[in-house]
Amino acid sequence: MKLIVFLLGAFLLTACYEDTDVTMHKAGVYKGKEDSHALSAEERAEVLKLRFNSVQTDR
Amino acid sequence: MARMKFLCDAERCIECNACVTACKNEHEVPWGINRRRVVTIDDGIPGEKSISVACMHCTDAPCQAVCPVDCFYTTADGVVLHDKDICIGCGYCFYACPFGAPQYPQEGAFGARGKMDKCTFCAGGPEEDNSVAEVEKYGRNRLAEGKLPLCAEMCSTKALIAGDGDIVADLFRSRVVRRGGRPDNWGWATAYKD
Repeated sequence: MKLIVFLLGAFLLTACYEDTDVTMHKAGVYKGKEDSHALSAEERAEVLKLRFNSVQTDR
Repeated sequence: MARMKFLCDAERCIECNACVTACKNEHEVPWGINRRRVVTIDDGIPGEKSISVACMHCTDAPCQAVCPVDCFYTTADGVVLHDKDICIGCGYCFYACPFGAPQYPQEGAFGARGKMDKCTFCAGGPEEDNSVAEVEKYGRNRLAEGKLPLCAEMCSTKALIAGDGDIVADLFRSRVVRRGGRPDNWGWATAYKD
């Protein structure tokens, strides 16, 4: 019985875990998630240039 | 490196509001939030001018400067984005923005403000490209698909143009030269061609 209570208590207490990894704010510094892309900025610029010329040309 | 910019040609804009509709539809923007809107000056008076306004993705963005929690960042494409997980909805960016771009959904009782929402240049946010989280928080990421903002791509008169600032400037400059410094949608040259 004691073992069951102990195991149940241990199981329930695991839900009380709190992440203590705090991100400290520093003025003027973005510390959010990193915005990653499949293509590099240069590659993307080339793709978007082609897109601009094919879609937004003057009429 | 590219520096993405919007430009609205006031001589071409016909105030159809299709850019506003396209934006709301593409990103499923909730009721009461307008990431883009059309502003008309001297409405109803001959010579009225309309321009489509949204976040202009400033190179030195005032919203970014005043944010107390620094939730803004500028991508390598020059697009100003923000992380909604950090935003506290304080509204400082709204006061700082000269274009009125930041929008706030009403959340909770007593008109409490939610997290800020604004035009993303169809570039999503810091979540994984076109993931469920990104689409829900920021809308679609067209830039990751090699496409430009829908508002500009579907503009019927090509008044609203979006892309690399240098290319946009070249296109607009060629239009101004062709017009001879005068508007080309009304006036003697339009009324009495040849």
